Amino acid sequence: MLKKRLGLLFALMLLVVGLVACGDDEDTSSGDNGSSGDNGSSEEEVVIDFMHLWPEGSSKQHNMIVQTIVDEFEAENENVTVEMEILGNEQYKEKLSVLGSSDDLPDVGMTWGGGFINPYVSGNMFADLTELDTDIFIPGTTEAYAVDGATYGLPLELNITPMYYNQAMFDEYGVDVPETLDELKAAITTLNDNDMTPITLGNRDAWTGSMWYMYLADRIGGPSTITDAISGDISFESEALIQAAAELQELVEMGAFINGTNGLGNDEAKGYFINEQAAMYLMATWDLPEWTTNEDNPQEFRDSIGYFKFPTVEGGAGDINSYVGGPGVGLFVAENSDVKDEAKDFVGYFVERWGEMSVTDAGVIPATKVDTGSLDLPQMYIDILNDLNEASNLTLYADVQMSAEAADVHLNMIQALFMGEVTPEEFAAAHEEALRAE
Amino acid sequence: MQENTKEKSKGVKRLAMTALYTVLGLVAVFQIYPLVWLFFFSLKGNREIFGRSPFALPEDWLFENYARVWTDGNINQYFFNSVFITATSVILTVILASFVTFAITRMKWKMSGFVLLLFMVGYMIPIHSTLVPLFQFYKTLNLIDNPLSIILAYTAYNLPLTIMILMGFYRTMPREIEEAAIMDGCSVHRIFLQIALPMSMPVLSTTVIINMIYNWNEFVFVNTFISSDKYKTLTVGIQNFIGQYLTDWGAIGATLMISIIPILIAFFFLSNRIVEGMAAGSVKG
Amino acid sequence: MSNKKIIALYVLPSLLLLAGLVYIPIFLTGYYGLMEWNGVGAMEFIGLDNYMNLLQDPKFWFSARNSFFLALFSTLSLILYLAVSLILAGKIKGKELLRKIYLIPMLLSSVAIAQLWIKIYDPNNGMLNSLLQTLGVDSPPAWLAQRETVLVAIFIAIIWQYAGFYIIIYSAALKGIPASLVEAAEIDGATPIQIAYKIKVPLISGVIKTTIVLAIVGSLKYFDLIYVMTGGGPNGASEVIASYMYNQAFGIKNFGYGSAIGFALLILALITTWGIQKLTASKNDSIQF
Repeated sequence: MLKKRLGLLFALMLLVVGLVACGDDEDTSSGDNGSSGDNGSSEEEVVIDFMHLWPEGSSKQHNMIVQTIVDEFEAENENVTVEMEILGNEQYKEKLSVLGSSDDLPDVGMTWGGGFINPYVSGNMFADLTELDTDIFIPGTTEAYAVDGATYGLPLELNITPMYYNQAMFDEYGVDVPETLDELKAAITTLNDNDMTPITLGNRDAWTGSMWYMYLADRIGGPSTITDAISGDISFESEALIQAAAELQELVEMGAFINGTNGLGNDEAKGYFINEQAAMYLMATWDLPEWTTNEDNPQEFRDSIGYFKFPTVEGGAGDINSYVGGPGVGLFVAENSDVKDEAKDFVGYFVERWGEMSVTDAGVIPATKVDTGSLDLPQMYIDILNDLNEASNLTLYADVQMSAEAADVHLNMIQALFMGEVTPEEFAAAHEEALRAE
Repeated sequence: MQENTKEKSKGVKRLAMTALYTVLGLVAVFQIYPLVWLFFFSLKGNREIFGRSPFALPEDWLFENYARVWTDGNINQYFFNSVFITATSVILTVILASFVTFAITRMKWKMSGFVLLLFMVGYMIPIHSTLVPLFQFYKTLNLIDNPLSIILAYTAYNLPLTIMILMGFYRTMPREIEEAAIMDGCSVHRIFLQIALPMSMPVLSTTVIINMIYNWNEFVFVNTFISSDKYKTLTVGIQNFIGQYLTDWGAIGATLMISIIPILIAFFFLSNRIVEGMAAGSVKG
Repeated sequence: MSNKKIIALYVLPSLLLLAGLVYIPIFLTGYYGLMEWNGVGAMEFIGLDNYMNLLQDPKFWFSARNSFFLALFSTLSLILYLAVSLILAGKIKGKELLRKIYLIPMLLSSVAIAQLWIKIYDPNNGMLNSLLQTLGVDSPPAWLAQRETVLVAIFIAIIWQYAGFYIIIYSAALKGIPASLVEAAEIDGATPIQIAYKIKVPLISGVIKTTIVLAIVGSLKYFDLIYVMTGGGPNGASEVIASYMYNQAFGIKNFGYGSAIGFALLILALITTWGIQKLTASKNDSIQF
C-alpha cells in the first residue's frame, strides 16, 4: 500500500519535472516472463525468455550452437519465440541474484549445481525437471542439481581436473611425469634448482587452490573423504584432512607454486603457463581448447602440452582414477514462468541437441553421453573422454558442494593455508565449525 | 631593492624551476602512459597480455581486435545509447543541482540546512546496497528495461555530489551583483538564469565533466535494470568478451579504447570551457 | 510568486527524485537488515539480530578499519592534489596542457585501471618488481598477495585514480580567485609560495572542506578497484566495508546481513561527516547566509 502510494507520488513527480516515459512500453513485459497469459490456447504466441552467459565475443562457438538450437526449436514450434539475454559470467550471477530477490527470473536460465541452487529451490523458484532427467545423461551428473530426490537443473558440461604440463620443459630438465606425491616433489625440486617455476596457480579466487587441497585429501583419505566431511559423515578434523592440509603447506613452503599466487587471478596464472614460465598447471578440462584448438597460442606450445592424473600419495587410500570435477553450468526453468510447459520442452530439446553438438563444435565435454568412436576430435579430448569412462569417482568441487557460507570460510582458509596464517589443525577446525553451524 | 633580491635568487630560482618542470613532466608521463598502455593492450592477444612483458609493444599488431569488436559487438547501438543516456542525465543533473544549490545558498529559509543534509546523505550510499530495493521499486513502476530507469538513477545518484561541488563555489561567489539586481527589481528566476548560472560556468563545466565520466563508465545499473540489447550501453559491451572460462582481453581493451575516445574529445572541449567560462565570468565581475 | 513557492519549485523535483530512488531503497535496505533472508524466497523477521551480530563481527570491524585507513590516506593525499593544483595555477608554461594530461586517468573506467595496476604489481613480470630488481632488490614483495603490502598497494592505485577528480575541482576553484588579489600581493613582494598559502588556500577553504567530506565519504563506500584487484583477499586482508557487504549479499547470499552492513555503512558515514562538520566549523561558514 505504502509502496503504491509512493509510486504514485513518484510518477507525479516525473510529470512535474517534465519527463514522461513514452514509447518504451511495448517491451517492459519481457521482464515479467513473457506476455502470454496461462489461460490461452496452446497455439497462442509464446515468448520464452532465456538468459545465458555465452556471449558471441568470448564464446563464439557456444553462442553459435545456442543460436542454432534456438532457431531449430523455433522452426519446430512456430508459435514460440525465444528471446535471449546474454551476460558475462560475474554480471550474470549478480543479475540472477537481483532477479531472484524480486521473484523475476527468466523462463529459462543457467545455474550452477551444489550449494548454488539450494536457495532457489527452497524459495520455490526453480521448476522440478525430474521428468527430463533421463538416461541421456552420464549417471550421477544430475545429482549435483538434485534436492530431496528431485532434479532442478540439467547439466550442460562435465569437467574433470587433470594436471597439464609442458613436455618440452620436462624434457629440458630431465623431469619425468610424476605418479606419486614424492615424485612430484622431486620434480618440483629439480625445476626449482633450474630456476623454473614448477607450478602456476592463481589463488586469488581460491577455488583453484581448493582443487589442490581436494586432490590431496582424496589421495590420502580416499575418494569419499571430502564429500563425507562436508555432509557430516566424518569430522573435518579427521587425520586425512589435516594431513592433506599439512602436505599442501609443505608444497607451498618448498616453493612449488608461483611467487605471489594469492594475488594472481586464474587468467594471469594461466598466462604464465601459456608463456612457458611455469611447467605445470592444475585446471579443469574446460581449458582443453587452449592446448588443442586455440589459434592464439603457438602450435609449438600446444604440441608440447600433455596432462597427467594427479599423483597418488604413498600409503594413502586414494585411487589415481578418482577426479575432482563435476558438471558446470546447467539449465533451469523458472517455477513461476507463464510458459513453463514450453520452457521445459525447450530445455529438454536444448540439452539433447547440445550434447550432440558441443564437443565437436565448441570443445565442451557435455554431461550427456558422447560416442567417441564416431567423432573427429583432437587426441587429448579422446584421452580425456576415455579417462572419464574409466573414472572410479568424481568429487564435486568443494566450494560448490558446500553451502555458500561454508564455501566462503573454505576459500578464505585455503588462502590462509597458503599464506601460512593457519596451521593444518586450525584449518580443519575452522571447516568443522563452519560446516556444522548449519 | 626588489630587483636586487631577484638578481641574487635568479640562479637558485632557475634551478628550482628546472626541477619543478622535470617533476611535472614526469608526472605527466605517468598520467598519459595508461592511454598508451591501453592502446598496446588492445592490440594484443591473451598470451601476450599475460606474457613476460605486459608493458612492451605488441609483437603482432592485432588490429583485428578492433574489427572483431565492431562486428561482434553491437557497438553502434551501444554507442548511441551511451551518448543519449549520458547527455540526458548530465544535463538533468546539472540543471537540477543548480536549482537546489541556488535555493540553498541564495535564499533564506528555515529548512535549508536540513535539505542540504538530505542531499549529502545521498552521497553516502554505496550503490550495491540499494540495488535490490531499487530494482523492486522500478518493477512496481514498470520501469524495468526502460532507459528512463537509468537516466533517473544516474541523476538521483549524482545529484548529491554535484550539489556538494556547486555549493563550495556558490558560497564564494560575490553577492554584490545579485544584490544590485534585487535592488533593480529583478525576479528570482532572472537572477538565477542571468547572473548565478553564467557566473558558475567554470564549476558547471567541472561538474559536467565529472558527471559525464561517471555516467559514461557506469555499468552496474545498466546491467541490472536493462535486459534488451537495444538499450544497453558501451560498458556493457565489454561483457560480450567475458566468457565463462575464457575472456578475450584484447577485445576488451579495444572496446575500452573505442569507448574512451569520445569521452576524451568531450573532455578536452569541456576543460577549455572552464577557462573561457572563467574569463567571461570575470569580465562581468 | 512567493519565495516559498520558488524554493519549492527549485528544490522539490530533486528532493522527490532523491526520495524515490535513494531514500526509499536505503530504508528498504535497513528493513531487509531486520530479516533473515538469502535473497530468494521468503524472509523471516529476526529483529535487530543482524545488527547485533554486526557489532560483534570481527570481520566487519576489520573491514571498517581498512575503510577508515583508506579515508585517512585519501584525505592526506588531498594535500598532494592541492599542491599540484596550486603549482598549475601559478605561472607555469604549458599549464593548461599539463592539467589536461593530469586528468586523463580519471577518464578510464575502473576495469582498465584495475588491469593496469594488476600488471604493475604482478609479482614476477610486473613493472614495479622489474624496476626494483634492476635497482638491486633481491626478492621484492608480491604486492597483492601479502597481508603487509596489499592495502597500501591498492590505496596507491585508488589515489592515482582519483587525482584527476580533485585536481579538476581545485583548479576550477583557484580560477575563481580574482586576479587583482594575486597581483596586489605580488606588488607587495610576496613569493609564489606565500601567495599560495596565505591567499589562495584560505580563499578556497570552503571547497577544500567539501573535498575532505567527499574524500572521506567516498573512501568509506569505496568498492571498485578492491573488488576487481583482490576481491577483498588474500584471506580478507584487503576487505573494506563495501566489499564485505557485497560478498555477504551477492557472494554468499546472506542478503539480510549484507543489507544490515549497507545500512551500518550509511550510519558510519553520517557520524563521520557530522564529526568533520563539527571539527571544521567556523563562524563565517554557516550554512545560511
